[in-house]
Parts: sequence; structure tokens; C-alpha cells
Amino acid sequence: MINNINFCKRCLYSEAHPLGLILDSEGICSGCRIHEEKDKLDWSERWDKLEKLVEPYRSISGEQYDCIVPVSGAQDSHFILHLIKNKLKLNPLLVTYNKYFNTPLGIKNLVNLRIKFDCDILYQNINPKSVRKITKSTLHQFGSIYWPILAGQTVFPVQTAVRYKVPLIIWGAHQGLEQVGMFSHEHEVEMTRRYRKDHDLMGYEADDLLSVFNTLSEEDIWQYRYPDDKDLNEIGVRGIYLGNYVRWDPKAQHELMIDEYDYKTASFRRTFDKYDFVDCFNYMDLHDLLKLYKQGYSKVTDHASREIRFGRITRDQGLTLVKNYEQKPPEYLDLFQKWLGINQKELQFIINQHRNLSFWKHQYPDKWVFNGLSSMNQGQKAEGVSKDLFLESSTLEDKIGKKYIVFGKGV
Amino acid sequence: MRLVLLKKRIIGTVIIKNGWAVQSFGYNRYLPLGKPECVVENLDRWGADEILILSIDRSSNRLGPDFSLLEKLASLQLETPLIYGGGISTIEEGVKVIGLGADRICVDSLLHDNFNIVRKLSERLGRQAIIGVMPVMANNGIIKWLNYRNKSSLPLKDGMLDNYTKTVSELLLIDFLNEGSKDGFNNKILEDFIDVDLSLILFGGLSDGPKIKKLLANKMVSAIAIGNFLNYKEHSIQNFKREYSRSNIRDSYYKERYSLLNDK
Repeated sequence: MINNINFCKRCLYSEAHPLGLILDSEGICSGCRIHEEKDKLDWSERWDKLEKLVEPYRSISGEQYDCIVPVSGAQDSHFILHLIKNKLKLNPLLVTYNKYFNTPLGIKNLVNLRIKFDCDILYQNINPKSVRKITKSTLHQFGSIYWPILAGQTVFPVQTAVRYKVPLIIWGAHQGLEQVGMFSHEHEVEMTRRYRKDHDLMGYEADDLLSVFNTLSEEDIWQYRYPDDKDLNEIGVRGIYLGNYVRWDPKAQHELMIDEYDYKTASFRRTFDKYDFVDCFNYMDLHDLLKLYKQGYSKVTDHASREIRFGRITRDQGLTLVKNYEQKPPEYLDLFQKWLGINQKELQFIINQHRNLSFWKHQYPDKWVFNGLSSMNQGQKAEGVSKDLFLESSTLEDKIGKKYIVFGKGV
Repeated sequence: MRLVLLKKRIIGTVIIKNGWAVQSFGYNRYLPLGKPECVVENLDRWGADEILILSIDRSSNRLGPDFSLLEKLASLQLETPLIYGGGISTIEEGVKVIGLGADRICVDSLLHDNFNIVRKLSERLGRQAIIGVMPVMANNGIIKWLNYRNKSSLPLKDGMLDNYTKTVSELLLIDFLNEGSKDGFNNKILEDFIDVDLSLILFGGLSDGPKIKKLLANKMVSAIAIGNFLNYKEHSIQNFKREYSRSNIRDSYYKERYSLLNDK
């Protein structure tokens, strides 16, 4: 058991946040302090800075792309392209990494995005044999089924920038800034290999996997290698974040995209947010359960903290939502088991190995008691939030059904 | 006695608080960055001339040096010389820090608490291994030295630094008021140390290329230490160095192993 964990007085985060979080002398966390900038900065001035920043990257001949934009069938991609195509008038090359756990709804959104914004797109399909091998290995060792996805999503755009000699990569928001206030918006932080390794990849880059797992070989991991410093320098690759120049508000942005571009949304069993992550069967399911096992909290705490900061729910309402959702069972474990070739008991055995005993007590063989962060966090039970806070327009399965939608080499 | 170094250095600085690498602003506000070993490994890859670790809560919390961090760093097989500071209060601790892989140690609290231990460390490890840390501010023509543990600042006593010249190899002067502020370093601090017979490392609010270049042109300045500002962009160390090519700073370089461009 962990005692004396300090919580932010404003949001639901604690000093145990895996990205690092600092409480100030008033008991307010670094994430909430940086969030205050959203209502203090002159966003019109910051947009002007962005326009000046991208200007040198416009292709004069029109025969080259102006920038690389990583996209998916969810999570702000429509809004990012809305800014890049419609506002900045840039000609982007879209890149997307096939995560294999694609929902029918996510594929529908991705098709919609390509058609509505009329862009060229590159797909990266890593061979499924290697992806399964890595997933099995990282699940066993790190309790993570998402390492290959995070690695692929964060490296494919950079590799493409080098290979196509298009130096500018444009991302949406910086997760470390938004969640824990790692940087001020005014620091104008850019993409770095260090952040990717430290936070996205849990401290393990592709080559590090070879020393950790004797199950993996060079042919499994080379596609996930970050480009050399020399290559990055030669092309002048840099990755910027729109969130430093635009008042980033995922809920408002998604609702604009629903209205203007028919972005499709769906409900989840383990959170109240219906807009993020609709492209994946596992992110808000098994991946989220593993987060609860390892970190003592789950994605609903991230969603609630974000909504508290924007003032759309109270802290007590947020904590009540967290307690309502975080212990809900996942819905799609059977799909993952089939994909990985393991049965339910094997999966449960593996993921139990990753329960953090600071947050879980093993009472008897099949009984674990949760002593996670929400049970230590102080708050009053509050009335529920309006059902209209987030709106769903479809389901993850859409009209196709409960199955991973694979393409390219996927089987 | 001032050490004569052929090249001036850009030192990558990692501030550590409660086990996390942090951005630090004015010694009183902090933002989280990540795992210290990841930040250090990155500075090593970028080709920093030296890496400075400052574990800022070890002395005030009486935790001693962060030996477990040093063990982790040793496993990284760094190519860059490492300076460690934080929690060293005895000769044994200082020696153990060096034994665990640090090339040099720096001391701040010990300068206030027990200079005799600093002297003995210098005898044991050699003066080249000891750096004195002085967080200072320039106030109406007077330099005040901060004791960060009780947040009091007192004027420097006359002749006090004379003791240091035989004991430490360099002085790390930190403009603590402007630490973390863009282009904030107060040049007046340097003016007051112009006659000190020690090489100086400057830190605190150094982000601006021309200003750094100007400061490095001073013969008593042996190095510039940079912290927060290295974390905002890729290749920050190389970018700083590129601005000073053909000057007396080691050239920037970019590692290459699996080039996508040469793979044709």
C-alpha cells in the first residue's frame, strides 16, 4: 500500500502520475497551472506565430508536400487537418500506422477524413507476425499491448519525413503538456526522440527490446527504429505541436468536427468520453484495464481531470464518474485473445502479474481488492453529469460488427 | 588558481527533484520532465561536453547522494563526463559518488556547513574533481549568496573566495533569481567575479545564442551550463554548438548508425 499520496486540489491527478506531476505550495498541480494559460494567452497572436513558423516550409513549386501529418480515425485528426488544410492552406502528406485493432467506426472516420480533406495518405503495415511477437513480449514483460502501436505511430511520420525529404511534421497536442504541465505553451516544445522513449515507449526503444527479449530479432524491430540524428539534421526534420498555438480543447474540437465533417462518435464501457479513441477496440478496453492494474487509475481519470480543468464538471462530479467507470469490465478481450492466440485464462494470468501491489491486494486466488488512487482521493459523492455532455452518433462496431478491421498485409 | 582548459564547454544540466528530472524556475517553481536517465542518455547522444546532475532535494531532506541514480547512469555507459551534486555531506559520500561513475562532484551546502570536508575531499580526489556551487544574485552592486535550504541570502565576505582557489577547480555561479527565464542571466554577476582566480561555469537563464557567445568570450568563463532550454527542441546541444563553429568549442556532431538516406 502507498500511503500519503498527495492529490491536486483542483483536478484528480496525484503525485503518482506516471509522467511526473508537481504540486505547488497551494496544492495545485503543474498540469492545472499550465492549463490556466489557455485563458491567459493571446491565442490570436500565437496563431500568427504559427503562420510565420510554417511559411518557409511551403513548397514553392507545388510539386512537394508542405508537411507530414500523422492521422488516425479518431483523436483530433479531423480537427488537425481542418487547421492545416483550411486555415493554414498547407498541402500535407498524411501518414497512418495500422494498429491492427481497428474498429469499423475508426476506419469509417479515416475514410471520411481522406475524402473530406482530399489528401494523399501513406499507410504503414508492419508484418503481423512481428507485431504479434512484439505484442506478446511487451505484454509479458511490461504489461503493455500498446508498445508497437505507440512506437509505430510516433516513428512512421519521422521516417516518412526523412524518406520523402519533407522536414515539417505537424502533430496535434503534446500529451505531457496537456496532462501534467510538462511545458508551458510558450516554450513551444517540439517533438524529441527523448520524450518518445521516456514517455511513449516506457524507456525502451526498438533496439532496447533486443536486449530485453530473446524472443525478438532484428527483423522484428527494425521498422520501429527512430531515424539517425544525422539524417534528421540533414533533412532538417522538426515536429511541431498545434496545441502550442491553438487553444486546445478536445471536446469542443470534436463537436465542431461532428457538425462540419460528420465525425462519428461512440460510447465506451470504461469512460464517459465518447470522442477519443473510437478507432481502437483495445485502447479504452484491455489497454485501459492494464493502466488500472499498473498505475492505480485509468483513462476515465484523465478524461475527468481534463473536463474539470475546462470547468465543465466539478471535482466531485469527476471523482464520482471515475468511481462509476473504472472498475467496469472490458468488452472486447475475446477479440484480442483470438488475435494473439491465447485463451482467457492465459491472458488473465499474464495481466495479473502486472497488478501493482501498491494499489491491489490479493485476497484469495480469484479475488483482488482495489486500493487505487480513486479510493485515496478525497471528495463528496456528486450528482451525475448530463447525458448530453458527450454525444454518440454510432457504435465502435458500426454496421460491420465485432471484429478487427485489417488491411494491407493484415490477416 | 585558474585551470587552463583548451576548449570551452557546453554543459547539459539535469535538475532532479523527488526522483524526477524537472524544469526549474527561480529555485521555486518546477515542471516535470521525465526520468533522469532518459534525459541524461539524450544529452550524451547529443554530444554535450559535460553533463551536470543536480539533485536539489537531497541535502535539504538529508537523503545523502542519490546512489541508485548513479548506478542507473553507470549502466548507460555514457561517453560524456559526468558531474554530480546533491546530498554530499561526508568524505565517504563524495568518494562513493566518484566510485559509482561520476567524474567530478559539486558541492553547495557543504560550502556553508563545513568547508573543511570540502578541503579534505579535494585532497582525496584532487582539486580537478571538485566544483563549488554558488547560487547568487546581484543586488544594487552587491553580490548575495543564497543558502537555498533556509532561503536566506547574505553578501559575500571579503576574501572568502580565496580559500576556494586551492580547493575547487571551478565555481558554478547560478543566477538563481533568473534561473529558467529566457535570456534572463544577469551579466552583473560576472562583473563581480572578474578578479577571482578560478574558472567559472555560468548557469541560470542562459538561452540566447549571442549572449552565451559573449559570455564564453570572457577568459574566466570555462563553461556555460544550460538546463530547461535544452528540452524544448531536438538537437538543442548541437544547435547551440553550431552557432559557435570555428570558436573554441568542440564541434557538434550527429550520430549515425542506420541511415535511411544512405540505404539505397
